[in-house]
Amino acid sequence: MTVEPTTSPATPSRWRREWLLPLMLAIATSSWMVAVEGRQGIGRDESQYFRAGERYWGWFESVWSNLREGHPRRAFSRAAVDGTWEDNHEHPPLMKILFGVSWRLFHTCDCTGVKRGLHPIPISGRHVTLPLFKRESSAFRFPAILLAGLGVALAYWLARRVLRPVPATVAAVLSVAQPHYFFHAQISCFDVPITVMAVLVALAYWKSLRSPRWGILCGVFWGLALATKHNAWLFPIFLAAHYLWIRRGDVRRLRLPRPPLAFVSMATLGPLVLFILWPWLWHAPVDRTRAWVQRHMQHEHYNFEYLGRNWNLPSKEPGLKLLRVTFPFVSTLFTVPVTTLALSAIGAVVFLRRHRRGDRSQTLLDQAPTALRPSWLRPGVDVDCAPGVFLAIHIAGPLVMVALPSTPIFGGVKHFLPAMPFLCVLAGAGAAWSIDVVRRVIKAQRWSRVVPVSLAGLLCLPAVAETVRSHPDGLGHYNMLAGGFAGGASLGMNRQFWGYSVLPVLPWMVEHRPASNRIYWHDVLHDAIVMYSRDGRLPLGMGDVGVGEQVLEQSELGIVILEKHFTIYEGLAWQAYGTTRPSIVYTHEGVPFVVAYERHAASRVPPPRSEIFAP
Amino acid sequence: MVFSGLLDRDLLRRRRWSVVVAVAIVLLALVESVNAVVAPSRAPTEKDWAAAAAKVRAGFRPGDLIVAAPAWADPLMRLQLGDLVPMPVAGRMDSARYGRVWEISQRGARAADTAGGTVAEFSRHGALGVKRWEKRAAQVTFDLLTEWHRAEVSVVTPAQAEVPCAATHDGFQCLGGASLKPELLEIDTTLRNGLAVNPVERETLVLVFADVLLGRELTVASGLHNVWLRKAGDGKVHMRVLVDGRELGAVEATSQSGWALRSFDTAALAGQSGKVRFEITTDKSNARHFGFAAEARNP
Repeated sequence: MTVEPTTSPATPSRWRREWLLPLMLAIATSSWMVAVEGRQGIGRDESQYFRAGERYWGWFESVWSNLREGHPRRAFSRAAVDGTWEDNHEHPPLMKILFGVSWRLFHTCDCTGVKRGLHPIPISGRHVTLPLFKRESSAFRFPAILLAGLGVALAYWLARRVLRPVPATVAAVLSVAQPHYFFHAQISCFDVPITVMAVLVALAYWKSLRSPRWGILCGVFWGLALATKHNAWLFPIFLAAHYLWIRRGDVRRLRLPRPPLAFVSMATLGPLVLFILWPWLWHAPVDRTRAWVQRHMQHEHYNFEYLGRNWNLPSKEPGLKLLRVTFPFVSTLFTVPVTTLALSAIGAVVFLRRHRRGDRSQTLLDQAPTALRPSWLRPGVDVDCAPGVFLAIHIAGPLVMVALPSTPIFGGVKHFLPAMPFLCVLAGAGAAWSIDVVRRVIKAQRWSRVVPVSLAGLLCLPAVAETVRSHPDGLGHYNMLAGGFAGGASLGMNRQFWGYSVLPVLPWMVEHRPASNRIYWHDVLHDAIVMYSRDGRLPLGMGDVGVGEQVLEQSELGIVILEKHFTIYEGLAWQAYGTTRPSIVYTHEGVPFVVAYERHAASRVPPPRSEIFAP
Repeated sequence: MVFSGLLDRDLLRRRRWSVVVAVAIVLLALVESVNAVVAPSRAPTEKDWAAAAAKVRAGFRPGDLIVAAPAWADPLMRLQLGDLVPMPVAGRMDSARYGRVWEISQRGARAADTAGGTVAEFSRHGALGVKRWEKRAAQVTFDLLTEWHRAEVSVVTPAQAEVPCAATHDGFQCLGGASLKPELLEIDTTLRNGLAVNPVERETLVLVFADVLLGRELTVASGLHNVWLRKAGDGKVHMRVLVDGRELGAVEATSQSGWALRSFDTAALAGQSGKVRFEITTDKSNARHFGFAAEARNP
């Protein structure tokens, strides 16, 4: 273990290391996502957040208009508040507010034309905007993309607590260069935002162990996290576990450790920030907080494919119970790039060696105590802050929560994404060790500067390449161990959810639109169809017969999203259209994602068959 | 040596295992990067599928079965050859009756439908392989699904009264709400043609085929239809199978039992006509939509 050579806070090199580098990483990340997000379709959840975001913006407009009309209290009445904020109230509002604000600021407005009726709020006139985005959905997505950029910078800063700049950069790059993470990072949803919040809160807590300023900020950040997604409920558990570990000396002496400022701040400022940000709570804070908690504690089980089975209920068989517990661990093994996993394994050994006998290899930065006596303002100054345990808790915590048999079946890597930045800090430690070994073996001075940077680049390369390869179908991507898209499908791993994958099929759908305009969209929500129309990807008035098993019979053209539990809809399509032969199949690396059927297509000669490949 | 001045040989000796691990991680990074670039090109192209389909089409005979391996490629197979895989074939009970199976496979996968067969023909079309498997086909002496309209259906009430069900244009409707009709069902997330039965608690739905030409076995496949109903209900559906009044056995369907095949030995009655009777009951009828198919056959 080594202490990093100190330089004055004002020196250019320190500024470059601590601010410019993460800023560049953040800009590069957000730019990458802005460049490619348009290829990714709109999922069920995202389309609802678009709608809610715009409606929330509409409420802010009403605050202003009521103020101008001399009725400042009108917008705050229970009816007015509930009228807006009841929409999608099962999730807290922060990101949806940002989506709405971003849409209002950055869309290219053609809102007063024929699309006026597609908005969920009244459009009184043409919006004056900074038209950064041609598609409205891009404007909605922009805050999530910026936050993903911030997430990379935060991962860097977190890694810098224990690593030098080069391996910290590796950790930051790996934190975003993961196909599943990347998929979720560029859309208007909450899974990557809450991951970013997890890092923000964890970093603030870590710094608060030796700095009271961060203790106060920790509470504010946790409030923002609470206002982002309910995963934030778990953060205090992880932090408390770590705090008890570093103060285990007190526990052994049967002395209760003093509550640190960070926890006091979280207990007071956290709920306050949530309350301020969430108007839905204002008129019945206790009842509605209880309803919010109960909604997620008693969540229904979703359908999810894992190892060839469709899971939608807790199993009663012991073998299957055990198999279900393995889900987050096996999914991590098969979805995170293999090099990242291997680096994490090495990083784990590095931290274990540090814990057992102190690291003599200069891989990790020093965490030695800085004072003899702690205080509640600086509760970690007299002890080793145990970064390995800190990372282990933040990696294992989200995975274990999903693995618990009592947790509702959600499926999806997205539910334990908050573990990933911490896993990547571990990978950064693995990279630091690898770079250190290679650097020492190579004697020649002229290589000493080139080797670390080149090696860092090489270690990031597979993760970046896999992420590029996976787009826009990151949900269906599995790593080299699993055998890629095809290997994941053969293993019976989930390929997709929420019907986002229809986007590449839309031009064909438009071209084959039946005269009756009766189209079955399966798992593509009406809100998503509306947004595709607003984005100019579907013509106005594109038909939609609705959802459910009965309506398929009424359609002339229909799609089926290929998920295991959706087989029933393919059967209904066969019966409705009198054929088992799809008219089109959308594939990524030869793995089908969406099929479309047409009524009477079987009688066409010659049938126009084609396979659409990932754009 | 080119590297003599470049590498610290002493350190290489002292930290041999560290160097091995570091070199391994570098190699892994290289291999994974190359794989990420190369692997997509290993996927079958539309041209491969068209060529494979042309090969199958050229040799196809009525009664042949076409399958994709792995099974997830089935929509792509049907995109090319769906006209040769109509619903009765796509929703088959099993593949025992098919003596010739065309398998379009990739990545070395093999379809379960080819079990027990030998490869009679093989050709490669880019990333796809086409195999014609030949196997001993079961001789179906009576298909109870396609002959459903010859059945007599009734319900036995709790008072032991047997009430005949009314035949409709597409099935049977019984007193008390039980019903039976042929349908394409989703059982265990696969599509199966079967007789769909809505059983009613405390009643026994009885299905009798009076004149079945029996083979050496009577194969029955059954399960519960509809993924949402399997999730919503937890009752069991029990079906007794009797031939000429003698019980051959029973099958039981639960939300977890899948599409279960069971063969009953009828060798002693092979070649004779018999009366096949099914008695279907349930402990909880909520969200129970039972489906089954059956064949008398000589394997």
